Amino acid sequence: MLKAENLRITFNPGTPIETRALQGMSLTIQEGQFVTVIGSNGAGKSTFLNAIAGEIMVDAGRILLNEIDVTRIPGWQRASNVARVFQDPMAGTCEDLTIEENLSLAYNRGYSRGLSQAIKPFMKDLFRERLAILGLGLENRLTDRIGLLSGGQRQAVSLLMAALQPSKVLLLDEHTAALDPRTAHFVLELTQKLVAEQKLTTMMVTHSMKQALEIGERTVMLHQGQVVLDVSGEKRKGMSVSDLLQMFEKVRGEQVSDDALLLG
Amino acid sequence: MMYMFALSHQLLLINMSLFSSLGAFELGFIYSLVALGVFISFRILRFPDLTVDGTFASGGATAALVISLGGDPFLATALAMLVCAFAGMITGWLNVKLGIMDLLASILMMTALYSINLRIMNGPNIPLITNDTVFSILQPAFMEDYVWRPVLLLLVVLIAKLVLDRYFATQSGLAMRSTGSNLRMARAQGISTDRMVMVGMAISNALVGLGGALFAQSQGGSDISMGIGTIVIGLAAVIVGQSIIPARRFVYLTLAVIIGAVLYRFFIALALNVDFIGLKAQDLNLVTALLVTFALVLPKFNKMRKAKKG
Amino acid sequence: MLAKKIKLGLGSALLAAIVASNMAYAQEKFVAITAIVEHPALDSVRDGVIEALEKNGYVKGKNLALQYQSAQGNTGTAAQIARQFIGDKPDAIVAIATPSAQSVVAATKQIPVVYSAVTDPVAAQLVSTVEAAGGNVTGVSDVLELEKQVDLIKRAVPNAKKVGMVYNPGEANSAVVVKRLQELLPNEGMELIEASAPRSVDVGSAARSLIGKVDVIYTNTDNNVVSAYEALVKVGNEADIPLIASDTDSVKRGAIAALGINYKDLGLQTGEIVVRILNGEDPGTIPSQTSSKLELYVNPAAAKSQGVELSEELLKSAAVIVE
Repeated sequence: MLKAENLRITFNPGTPIETRALQGMSLTIQEGQFVTVIGSNGAGKSTFLNAIAGEIMVDAGRILLNEIDVTRIPGWQRASNVARVFQDPMAGTCEDLTIEENLSLAYNRGYSRGLSQAIKPFMKDLFRERLAILGLGLENRLTDRIGLLSGGQRQAVSLLMAALQPSKVLLLDEHTAALDPRTAHFVLELTQKLVAEQKLTTMMVTHSMKQALEIGERTVMLHQGQVVLDVSGEKRKGMSVSDLLQMFEKVRGEQVSDDALLLG
Repeated sequence: MMYMFALSHQLLLINMSLFSSLGAFELGFIYSLVALGVFISFRILRFPDLTVDGTFASGGATAALVISLGGDPFLATALAMLVCAFAGMITGWLNVKLGIMDLLASILMMTALYSINLRIMNGPNIPLITNDTVFSILQPAFMEDYVWRPVLLLLVVLIAKLVLDRYFATQSGLAMRSTGSNLRMARAQGISTDRMVMVGMAISNALVGLGGALFAQSQGGSDISMGIGTIVIGLAAVIVGQSIIPARRFVYLTLAVIIGAVLYRFFIALALNVDFIGLKAQDLNLVTALLVTFALVLPKFNKMRKAKKG
Repeated sequence: MLAKKIKLGLGSALLAAIVASNMAYAQEKFVAITAIVEHPALDSVRDGVIEALEKNGYVKGKNLALQYQSAQGNTGTAAQIARQFIGDKPDAIVAIATPSAQSVVAATKQIPVVYSAVTDPVAAQLVSTVEAAGGNVTGVSDVLELEKQVDLIKRAVPNAKKVGMVYNPGEANSAVVVKRLQELLPNEGMELIEASAPRSVDVGSAARSLIGKVDVIYTNTDNNVVSAYEALVKVGNEADIPLIASDTDSVKRGAIAALGINYKDLGLQTGEIVVRILNGEDPGTIPSQTSSKLELYVNPAAAKSQGVELSEELLKSAAVIVE
C-alpha cells in the first residue's frame, strides 16, 4: 500500500526559474490496485514518481509504504519495495551487460549483494521460463549483450525485471511512450498480464487518455502539482475520452478564469 | 599484411637480446597490474582516475620504507596495497560524498600524494639494491634473477587476474559493473552506488600500489618521480589491449589489458633498438607513440580491407 | 599488387638495415652510456666521457662501439634501458645521475658500471664504501665539500646569518645537500631557511617567499633550479639578495659567485676510469672518486645589482671573472 501525504517539491526556490513541481500532492493506493496517472506537461507526474522512488527528496510531506515512513530514506534503500520501468528503454537496462546479467541484477533487487555467484544455474532456468512468456526468442539469447536488443525488446525485458521480485509498488513512467504502436501494444498487454498474475500494486503514468481509461481500475489526473481528479469504479467505467477531456478543460478553465478574476 | 608485420617483428626480436625481452616482460607484467587497476576505474566504473600517478609511487615508497627499516618484504608489499587502497577510497569518497567531479577529485588526491610520498620516504628516494625483496626471498637456486623476476611477476599477474575474474562474476562484482554502466538503473536495483565506487577505487588503486611495490623491489628502489605518467601507460595498455583483442566476455577483457601492457613495454624496448635508422635517444617518446598508433590503427585497417573484399 | 610489392620492398629494406647494424656491432670494445634526462650538465658529462675515450685511443667507429640512451626522465624507461644494455653485453656501462645508476646497478652484478654525477653513492646503495668496494661498480661523485661552500658564502657575504636555499624536494642530490647544510651552518652561527620548488616553474615563487627572511640565497646543482636560474636572478636583483650557486655556468647567468665543478671535467675524469676498465682493470679495485677540480667564478656586476661588493681577496683568488 502506498500513501503520499501532502508532498511539496520546489525546484530552484527563490530564483527566476523557480518551479513548484508538487504543491501538496496526496494520494493513497490500496494494495493490489492498478492506478493510471494522467496530466499535462509540467503537472508533476514524473516528479511524483521520482519522489516515491526516492530519486528526489521531498521538501515537505510524507511517503508511506505499507505504513512505513520512507520519506527520508535514500532511493537505493527503497528499491526492495519499489520497482520501476523508465520511459527510456536505455535507462532501465545496462547496455554492456548480458540479458542474464541484467536479470540477475533485478533478481537481487533490494538484497545485499555478497560474494556468491551472480548467475546461478537455477536462475538461468528461471530467466528462460520468464523470457519465454515474451515470445521473442530471448530465452535462447541469455548471453547476448542487452544492447543488441531493440528498444521495444529492452522495454519488455525491463518490465520482466521489475516483476522478478515482489515489490510494494510498481511505478511505470510512460513506459510505452518511446515505442512504436505495435510494440507499445505488446508491452501494454504484457503489463496487464504481469500485474494481474502477481497482483502488483501499480501506478502507471501515461499521456494517452484512452489508455488511462482502459487500463487499470482507477484514474487520477494531476495538474500543477496536485491531484485534481480521481475516478474509479462505476463512474469510471462509463467514461469516454471526451468526458475526460471535458473534465480536463473544466479544471484548467476554472483555474484560468480564477487568475483573470484576480487580475481584473 | 599480418604476415609482413609478424615477419618484421620476428626479425627485430632477434636483434633484441634475451635480457631486453625479459626486461620488457618484467616491466610489462608490473604495468599489467597497473592496467588491471586502470581497467577497473576507467572502463568498469567510468571514473577517470589520475590518483594512480600518486599511488604507484605510494606503493613503491611504502614498500621501500618498510623493507629499508628491516621489515618483511611480503608484509611491506601488503602494507603498500593497503595504503593505496585507502588513498583510492578517499578519491572515491571525495566524489560521491563531497560531490567533487571525478577527474578533479583524483587530481586533488594525486597532488596530495606527492607530499605524502616525500614524507613516507623522508626524502625523494629510498634505494633497495642490497635489501631482501620478495624476489630474492623466493628465488630458486637454479634460475637467474633476471629470469626469475618476470616469472614471479607473471604468477602474480595471473593470480590477480583470476581473483578479479572471480570477483566480477559475483553479485557484488556485477553490482559494481552496473554502477559504472548505468548509475540510475543500479540505484533503482537497490545498489549502494556510493559504496561501490569507493570499493572499486580502493581495489583499483590497491592493484596499482602492488605494481609500485613490486617495481621498487625489482628496479632498485623507490623514487618520487616513479609515478609520473602511470595513468598514460595504464590507459595505453587498456586501449591497445582492447583494440587487439576485441572481446566482450570479461575473462578476455582482463587478458586483453595484460597483453596491452606487455605489448606497450615491448614497443618501448623496440624503440630503444631503432637507433640504426638515424633516430636518436631523444626520439624515444615519438617512436613509442608511432608504434602505439600503429597498433591502434592496424585492426581498423584490417577490418576495412576485409569489408572491401567481401 | 602494388601494395604487396611495397610491403615486400619495405620488409627487405628493414632486413638489410638490421643486418647492417649487426655488422656495425662486430667491433673491439663496446661502451654504453645512459643518463636519466637530457640536461646541460649531464650532457657535458657524457661528452667528457667520450672525449676521454678518444684521447686514450678509443674512437667511435674505429675500435669502439658507443651507445647512448636517455630515459627521458622516466624511471620505468631507465629500467628497460638498463636491461637493454645488459643484454647487449657491453664492456662497461656509464650511468649518469642517481636514478639511472640505481637502475643499472640493481640489474647487473657482472658488467662493470661506472657512475657519474651522483652526489652520495653510498646512500644510493651503488657501492658499500667509497674505498675499493670489490664489486662491479665504481665512479665519480659530484659531491661538493660543503665546508668549502659555506666558506665561500662567508667570504662573499661576510655578515650573512640567514642562508636561504631553493631546491626540488624530489631530487636526491638536493636532499642530501640540505641535510648536510642543516648540520654545518649552525656551527658557523648561521641558519638555513628552505624554499621548495617541486617543478622548475616554482623556482621564482619559492625565491620570492624568501624575500625579507634571508641575507643570501645558496643553491646546489638541483636540476629544477639550474634550468630556471633566470627566475632566481630576477628575484635576487629586485630584492637585493645575493645569489651563490654551485655550478660555474650560473655565474654567467647572474649569480655573484660559485665554487663549482666543471661537468665536462667530471666527464673526463669518469672517462679515465672507463679507459682503465677497458684496458683490463677490475672495477672492484678502483675506489670511488670525487671531483678533483673546483673552480671559483665571480661576477662583480651581478654583485652590484644584488647589493653587495665582492672583496679584493675574492676577486684575486677567482679563476674567472665574468663580465
